[in-house]
Amino acid sequence: MSISTAELGAKTALGPKREGPLVGLARMLGPDHRLGYLFILPTVVLVLALVAYPFCYAIYLSLTRKYVGVPPVFVGFDNYVKLTFDGFFQRAVVNSFIFTFGSVAVKLVLGMVMALVLTSGIRFRSFWTGVLLIPWVAPTVVSALNFLWIFDYSLGVLNYMLVKVFHLLPQGVGWLSEPGTAMASVIGVNIWRGFPFFGISFLAGLRAIPAEMYEAAAVDGAGPLLRFRHVTLPGIRNILIIVMLLSTIWTFNDFQIVYILTKGGPGGATQVLPVFTYEIAFGAQRLGEAIAVALYMLPALAAVIIVLARYMRQGRSR
Amino acid sequence: MDSRLKDLAEKLDTGLIARREFLRKAAVVTGGTAAGLQALSKMAGAQSQTKLRVWLFKSFVTAGNDVLEKQIQNWAKDRKVTAEIDWATFGDREQKFVAAIEAGNPPDIAEMQILGPMRYKAALRDVSKVAGDIASARGGMLPFADKAMKLDGKFYGVPRYSMTTVFYIRKDIMEAKGLKPPTVYDPGVVEFARKTQDVSKGLYGFGQTLNRSDDGNGFMQNILWNYGGGAWDKDGKPALATTFRDQNLKALQFAVDTITKQKIQPPGVMGWTDVSNNEAFMAGNLVTTNNGASLYYAMVAKKHELASKTLLVLTPGGPAGSFVGSSCYNWGIFQKSKYADLCEDMIRYMEDEERFAEYMKVSVGQAGPVYKKRTENPYWKSDPNFNAIMQNIIRSVPTGYPGPVTPAAVEVYAQNTLTDMAGRVVTAGLSPEAALKEAHARVEEIYKARRS
Amino acid sequence: MNKGLVGRLQIVGSYGFLVTLLIIVVFPFYWMTVTSFKGEEQMRSLVSMFWPSPVVTDNYRHLLGKTEFVAWFGNSVFVAVSSTFLATAIGTIGAYALARLKFLGRAFMSSAVLITYLVPPAILFIPLYAQIRTLGLADSLGGLIVAYPSFTIPFVTWLLMGYFESIPIELEEAAMIDGATRFGAFRRVILPLAAPGVLAAGLYAFTQSWNEFLYALVFITDVKLRTLPVGLSSFITGDVYGWGYLMAGAVLTTLPVIAAYIYLQKYMVEGLTAGSVKG
Repeated sequence: MSISTAELGAKTALGPKREGPLVGLARMLGPDHRLGYLFILPTVVLVLALVAYPFCYAIYLSLTRKYVGVPPVFVGFDNYVKLTFDGFFQRAVVNSFIFTFGSVAVKLVLGMVMALVLTSGIRFRSFWTGVLLIPWVAPTVVSALNFLWIFDYSLGVLNYMLVKVFHLLPQGVGWLSEPGTAMASVIGVNIWRGFPFFGISFLAGLRAIPAEMYEAAAVDGAGPLLRFRHVTLPGIRNILIIVMLLSTIWTFNDFQIVYILTKGGPGGATQVLPVFTYEIAFGAQRLGEAIAVALYMLPALAAVIIVLARYMRQGRSR
Repeated sequence: MDSRLKDLAEKLDTGLIARREFLRKAAVVTGGTAAGLQALSKMAGAQSQTKLRVWLFKSFVTAGNDVLEKQIQNWAKDRKVTAEIDWATFGDREQKFVAAIEAGNPPDIAEMQILGPMRYKAALRDVSKVAGDIASARGGMLPFADKAMKLDGKFYGVPRYSMTTVFYIRKDIMEAKGLKPPTVYDPGVVEFARKTQDVSKGLYGFGQTLNRSDDGNGFMQNILWNYGGGAWDKDGKPALATTFRDQNLKALQFAVDTITKQKIQPPGVMGWTDVSNNEAFMAGNLVTTNNGASLYYAMVAKKHELASKTLLVLTPGGPAGSFVGSSCYNWGIFQKSKYADLCEDMIRYMEDEERFAEYMKVSVGQAGPVYKKRTENPYWKSDPNFNAIMQNIIRSVPTGYPGPVTPAAVEVYAQNTLTDMAGRVVTAGLSPEAALKEAHARVEEIYKARRS
Repeated sequence: MNKGLVGRLQIVGSYGFLVTLLIIVVFPFYWMTVTSFKGEEQMRSLVSMFWPSPVVTDNYRHLLGKTEFVAWFGNSVFVAVSSTFLATAIGTIGAYALARLKFLGRAFMSSAVLITYLVPPAILFIPLYAQIRTLGLADSLGGLIVAYPSFTIPFVTWLLMGYFESIPIELEEAAMIDGATRFGAFRRVILPLAAPGVLAAGLYAFTQSWNEFLYALVFITDVKLRTLPVGLSSFITGDVYGWGYLMAGAVLTTLPVIAAYIYLQKYMVEGLTAGSVKG
């Protein structure tokens, strides 16, 4: 954000000119450094103490061989090297990608349609918005258990409806027992839980686009599709990027839904990285390797975040 | 002594009132006389409350949980200490152990499942003496418990009770067809299932998942043993696709066939979790299934109509015999505890035969014996179904059989290696040979990791 | 194509979409509620799937009378409200600093604010628990109140950063020319204007705290200090699920948050709206 000239003038016009090392330091730290650092201090302290420090310790542990209750033994990048050639790890990575991108893609479209519909001329908008938020708001543990019951082959209500009520299928589907449907089912539950976040963010973004822009485009003869591409999309560009980024990270790290529904089965078909990490940490008690699994994808994701954040900040300061 | 004073003293001891309040109220009672004050100071000199942290499993046997809590609190009152009990379900417990041990504040004493001593050995005390004392006063440990709990010749857990799986049969259906309980899987269970099921009514002959679950892992382990195979040889070396390759292949083929070929299992069985077969059986959809005694408990406790129609028998076998694993719940004392003696005292108290019997009698067969004397308790004859439970426990073998119990064996089991192997055949279309080889590589990898 | 027809098709399509989505969204909660009123026997059979027959209140009575559900509820409220207050307060001033104030390191910090989400909580909790213990907060609700902001503050900060940036800077300048300090301008001019954003951020933080499971499981051992998600999961013992109590507890756990959101959702939208104005 740029400094307004009035502000700059106000600050330099008043106040006597004094040179000296302290003033130089103050200038380097920025004109608002006192209030700025004060305001940002609690955040920094909390993040350093409760995120950065444990995180650094976790990084260190990933470079060790560590069993529970036993002091760590430094092994360098051994864990990471072993993982790279481990077929089970590779499969977990593939599953994680399928899970994440499958889910985020659908959530994106669903959220976008939801936002577009809610900004068109429909009534009771508040009601719809409120109700459609519900899945995001309920505890994941509860929702996952609920779906476990719903997906049950013999006693679950989904098969009951498909077979006995609507007669769409002769027999129930093994939602959590066939590898294809198991992955689809866990993705489905993740979509169910997560799409409201996309919807409401896009809704907010759409409302911020001035109506005049649409009118101008319409006057220029642009149809709805062109208007979407040239007015809507650029208008929500930043929020689109942020929401996709956050959701990708959160979906990638999602543990509870998969674990409660399938524990990673059948036969490892839905084994995603968080479940894999969990098993190594608490099933095998090999903490060093478990952390290495969890941190393996981190550099790639971090690079993406930094690049995108910079891209967006540039966009903002224009 | 004035009973009011005694009341107050008790309240002070159990921390219900603060010291100051005690002194105040007591002074009123004694009228502040010198003698009274003397007595007061004697009582107020009560020990500063030692607090013992006790971690227990919240079992589905709610009556058992209540008995456990009551007994521990009684003991605590007796010893004038406070017992702070943490209840965690089976699924949540391990995370708490790991976090607490790593943070340096494990509990003083904890109830652990069979894999506990192996996993947390580094943080546990050697309790061989207590275990030895208790065992010798009860006719010795049953062989399976001894094998399962002795690590490098020492005990890091004092065995308490055992849970195992049994084979459930719908007695009414069996008798209606004039059949007898099968004793081997192939062809026994297969034919039994075919003759008794009625798919048109949604009744299936056999319900056994090969999905990642305790049910699945237990079954796979048992079936490999039944065919003379297993993941480990008698020296504790990986044997899945090497020493016991042929046996394991046959076992794997059989297991997989029950789902894909024999048509005796309900569709969707590969998606089952541990609770699914319980529910299917109780809903009347299964003729047979393997499960822990928990299913029987659930039916009896809820007065389910099928409870009286259920027969529990020994787990069927294979060409090499009939094998079954069991779990051995035990007490562990953590090295960091400052009250090891107190903990040992609590263990002795809880394992006292009368108290244990009280616990066992409300458990509907869940609290299987680990000591020889306990097998003689008439309770086990009170329900004919209990016999199968007890027999299965007595003859059970630990993970790693025919080799010793090793961290690697524990990990291979806990990491769903066997169920994944089966799953890869049923759902991913791998050939049994390929799946076996893949699983063996995993076993090797874990074996190597654990040796260094 | 006839514009009127297109318009009408669009409306029909929109409502159709919304209703379908509504059914998909609401059905699991309907199912949860119905199950909570079913008796044991009915749950195991396929009789009258969609309605309890008979309607049974045992599950609720057991839940409220024989378990510590009420205590769990109280704990969850205490922790969620406190940690929300903490996270929102810290996040608001942090966001203001990053959005408006100029100081060294600002650019880096505002880019880095979301990076904390990269760290999977499923692993972080082990060293974090050790940390909490060192601070003497283990086995206390205070530990949760301090730990929860660690994963809510980044989002709160990012949300409010955008919100602050959307407020015209002229307002603060005017206040300061009138003699107010930077802080005064913040307090009297900016903060009231940012109320929807702060509310949205608070709602988000509250929801995350209310639903959090892992830290609450590990940091707390005292049964009386449990929060709702942990308490509910204790109904799953081995392979015997207390579905009835579980669903009853689930209904009671979800209702307050749903009620809050339905009532306050327009602030949520407003709060997020300004955050996206700048692009």
